[in-house]
Amino acid sequence: MRERKKSSAVEVSSVKKKKEKKTKDNNEPREQKEKEESQSIMKQQKNTTSRWKKEKQRKTTEDYESLRESELSGDEAHGTDRDVDNADDHHEEDQTDGSEGHRGVEESDSSEDEVAPRNTIGDVPLEWYKDEKHIGYDISGKKITKKERQDKLASFLANVDDSKSWRKIYDEYNDEEVELTKEEIRLVQRLLKGKAPHTDFDQYADYVDWFKYDDALHPLSNAPEPKRRFIPSKWESKKVVQYVRAIRKGLIKFDEPKEEEPKFYLLWGDDSSAAEKAKHLAYIPAPKPKLPGHEESYNPSLEYIPTQEELNSYQLMYEEDRPKFIPRRFTSLRSVPAYENAVKDSFERCMDLYLCPRVRKKRVNIDPETLKPKLPSRKDLKPYPVACYLEYKGHKGAVVSISTEASGQWFASGSTDGTVRIWEVESGRCLRVLEIGEAIQYVAWNPLPELPVLAVSVGQDVLILNTGLGNEEEQRRVKDLLHVETPTAPDDNMASIVSWLQHDKLDGIRLRHFKMVSSVEWHRRGDYLSTVMPAGESRAIFMHQLSKKLSHRIPFKLHGLPVSSVFHPTRSIFFVSTKKNIRVYDLLKQRLIKKLETGLKEVSSIAIHPAGDNLIVGSREGKLCWFDMDLSSKPYRVLKCHPKDITNVAFHRSYPLFASCSDDCTAYVFHGMVYSDLNQNPLIVPLEILRGHTSSNGRGVMDCKFHPRQPWLFTAGADSVIRLYCH
Amino acid sequence: MDMNIETPEDQNEENSRRVQVRFKTKLKPPQKVPSNSIAIPSNLTRFGLSSIVNNLLQAVNPEWKSEPFDFLINGELVRMSLEQFLLAKGISAEKVLEIEYIKAVAPQKEEEPSLHDDWVSAVDGSNPGFILTGCYDNLGRVWKAGGVCTHILEGHCGAVSSVNIIKSDGLKYVTVATASKDQTLRLWKFDAEELVNHPKKIRSFKILRGHKASVHSIAAETSGNMVCSGSWDCTISLWRTNDSDAAGNQVSIKKRKGNNQVEEPQLEGEAISTLVGHTQCVSSVVWPQQETIYSASWDHSVRTWDVEMGKDLSDIFCGKALNCIDIGGEGSALIAAGGSDPILRIWDPRKPGTSAPVFQFSSHNSWISACKWHNKSWFHLISASYDGKVMLWDLRTAWPLSVIDSHKDKVLCADWWRGDSVISGGVDSKLCVSSGVSIQ
Repeated sequence: MRERKKSSAVEVSSVKKKKEKKTKDNNEPREQKEKEESQSIMKQQKNTTSRWKKEKQRKTTEDYESLRESELSGDEAHGTDRDVDNADDHHEEDQTDGSEGHRGVEESDSSEDEVAPRNTIGDVPLEWYKDEKHIGYDISGKKITKKERQDKLASFLANVDDSKSWRKIYDEYNDEEVELTKEEIRLVQRLLKGKAPHTDFDQYADYVDWFKYDDALHPLSNAPEPKRRFIPSKWESKKVVQYVRAIRKGLIKFDEPKEEEPKFYLLWGDDSSAAEKAKHLAYIPAPKPKLPGHEESYNPSLEYIPTQEELNSYQLMYEEDRPKFIPRRFTSLRSVPAYENAVKDSFERCMDLYLCPRVRKKRVNIDPETLKPKLPSRKDLKPYPVACYLEYKGHKGAVVSISTEASGQWFASGSTDGTVRIWEVESGRCLRVLEIGEAIQYVAWNPLPELPVLAVSVGQDVLILNTGLGNEEEQRRVKDLLHVETPTAPDDNMASIVSWLQHDKLDGIRLRHFKMVSSVEWHRRGDYLSTVMPAGESRAIFMHQLSKKLSHRIPFKLHGLPVSSVFHPTRSIFFVSTKKNIRVYDLLKQRLIKKLETGLKEVSSIAIHPAGDNLIVGSREGKLCWFDMDLSSKPYRVLKCHPKDITNVAFHRSYPLFASCSDDCTAYVFHGMVYSDLNQNPLIVPLEILRGHTSSNGRGVMDCKFHPRQPWLFTAGADSVIRLYCH
Repeated sequence: MDMNIETPEDQNEENSRRVQVRFKTKLKPPQKVPSNSIAIPSNLTRFGLSSIVNNLLQAVNPEWKSEPFDFLINGELVRMSLEQFLLAKGISAEKVLEIEYIKAVAPQKEEEPSLHDDWVSAVDGSNPGFILTGCYDNLGRVWKAGGVCTHILEGHCGAVSSVNIIKSDGLKYVTVATASKDQTLRLWKFDAEELVNHPKKIRSFKILRGHKASVHSIAAETSGNMVCSGSWDCTISLWRTNDSDAAGNQVSIKKRKGNNQVEEPQLEGEAISTLVGHTQCVSSVVWPQQETIYSASWDHSVRTWDVEMGKDLSDIFCGKALNCIDIGGEGSALIAAGGSDPILRIWDPRKPGTSAPVFQFSSHNSWISACKWHNKSWFHLISASYDGKVMLWDLRTAWPLSVIDSHKDKVLCADWWRGDSVISGGVDSKLCVSSGVSIQ
């Protein structure tokens, strides 16, 4: 313990010594400068200056020392068993420190620093002289008397008056006041901050290795090799003996020597072996040139040699088609001439290799199944129409249009054979045949169950016919409704366009239009119906009121040829589809609300979801568009399903189903769920392809309608059959 | 037993496996075989078994005329070879197998069809003396036997959709009810025993009005005092059938429209109550007991109604629109119903906790239009379908006992008659009678 302590003390002192040295070294330039400045100053004066400087430096050293000591004592405080000999240690340290400090002063080689301090008592505690009248002795042995002490007040006043008082310190050793220069204060400040005292001292200077290894011929130690390096190790031999014994006893076992596999290589394989490929990932070997065959032999068999005729025929060929090499026979290999195309061939080969980039094709390795959208299983989406159990036969021409009655007990169909038939759904019985005499365009059953009235468009007429169903009271009402008095006086030019007449043969009204009527659509209240005349230009769409026998032209400008029109299922909104777009009008405010851009070539049919916010559009190119009207004016989904024209589309009134039918003799059934949550987009799942109709004159299924209450689909075929697909 | 009982196809398979069997029966002695066990080849089918039994009977009674039998093993009808059957049911062939035989249930004879002027939409054979049919030409008809029409019920102005014999036994006059698509029901009375050369035209004595849409189905209470009707207006109405004007119904003297000058007093009746609950057309009703009515509807449900309360007691949902319903079978409790798919379903409402059908018969190819239990047997029922076939079913096997294929188009209605005949009417305007179905 004590030893360690001492060594640490030595270390401290040595560090201190270095510090002192440094301080002195750094002092020199300044002193020289001073010397230059005051050349004329007397030597005496100079001496004094340097002396007190010296003293001051000593003072700082002392300060530093005391600082160090306090640190050390702090360190010691941590040790517990050291407290006993604390005082002795201090003493010793003080002693050593003091002596070293003096030695440091003496060792200084500057002659000017030789000036001894005024007091010569040495490094003794100053309290020894506390009660004396002198502070010590000067160099000649005379007592240095203590200066007269100023009283506190006087010294304070003196301090106040003296502007330099803040940098005066009292040197107790020499009993004098020392005024610090700016440099010294800076130095003190730096020390207090724990920095090197001088600014130009680099604490972290590069290490300079002074030893020169370059020309050293001999190792640092040129001692001869010891003997033990030349004799075998005794311990090693003992260990070996131990191993040998263990091996003999069988305690140590060796691994079986690996049987060396004979190295094979693929003699006839491709040069671009797998190993080589693995080495250079990007390396793609050049394709091999074709190897010579039998015909390139110097003496090929006779069958390879072209006859004269063949040679002649080669001449008639195009340059590119001509064979590049014509086999010839030679008696010996020696007589084979040089190949004249050798240079050309190798040039072309080089060109091929150079110009045709060899790129490894990146194959995207994705399972196509994962790219499919996740759709719910069809089983979970039951019921939907699957199988055809009923057929309604009786028409003699293509059935163009069908319409179901509101309760689902009957439906009507119109055909090109000029008849409208009314069928009973459950039994397939044709209840009534209405002979119109002209090819039917469209039939529409009045949506009111108590008003069994059918609107039929035939050529330029729209007939509103009594179906004869319902009880007597209903029949009476229908008869009243379908009675037209003498044609109303032509109050305006409307009469020339649309006229209300009583039908001469059948029980009903005949609405004579001025152009072909393509479709008729009832309003949900059953009083209004709209008719579309594609050739009618500005007067293409009419609205008729059955109770008042009035017709209006809709006051909207149409852009393009109208195809069909639909009423909104709940609100007074009216949809008109032209060949390209769909326009949505508000009938109350009489203005355009929205324009839906289908992006299709030719719209054939539209249907509106019973909630009224979604619309499906079928087109002649076989595409089906689903519009979410809250979402955008562009289709939400475009389903390209039919290879031929879509003839009609339909929504189910209560089940989440919709269907499209096409001239390819099929009808597609989809699940089309619209959620009441506005954030959720409609779910569309294709469910079933319904087949069964046969093509006739290039037309397939002409119309499809859902049963109003059951998940059943009626399809009208050009083969004059109507089918009912049930779940 | 010796080899002569083996059928020809077995003789070339000498090494086929043999099974020890014992035949037993509930039939009366002339049809009873000795009860000792015999070994028979295991690859015999029903036909082979039948010929064995016939041979055995012939051995006892030389003037026995062979007839077809059906065989039951553990209460199931054998419909494949014996070996396959044992394998399928996991029955050991080591023990003596007890085979019960019954008379084969199949129509023996096709009687002369009764020709109508239009589609035959309804038929009722609950009276052994006559058959009542309804037709799309708005008329009801009474047939003495196949092809002999005795009465024509005239008066509806829409197709007759359903007919029902209300009161017949012990009375001189028979009361029948018809429902029509003209939204009315009519009650008729006639003397069934009357001998007539020409069909006699009869007019209804009571008209029941009140439905707001076509009446689709009619059923009478067991006592015959009330009828119920199911209609397209989604309701079931209950009506009184009494001809006296007890309930204060208006007596009105109605003049027939048109130039027919016959005047006849006609009663009009109103519904005494209406059962509301179905959401779609009530396609079929049955009233097997005094207090409950069963109804099937296009809203995919079968409902049981308490007549007194006027409420439905239970619902069975089947997922398909239903066309017909009948109650019968074991304890007259099983519900058979068919509809808009080719499957005839049978539910047992007594089975707790499930509404799944206990039996499903799916040999038809199209909608089932009618189904009827045999009123004596627990196992037998018939079904008619739009595929033109009437099938005879036994609950003990999944295959039809026989398929009556006498119609050329859809069969719209079918019923049992006299317990041994199947009558059916269809779109080909014929009423076909297949007789000789022996159900003991």
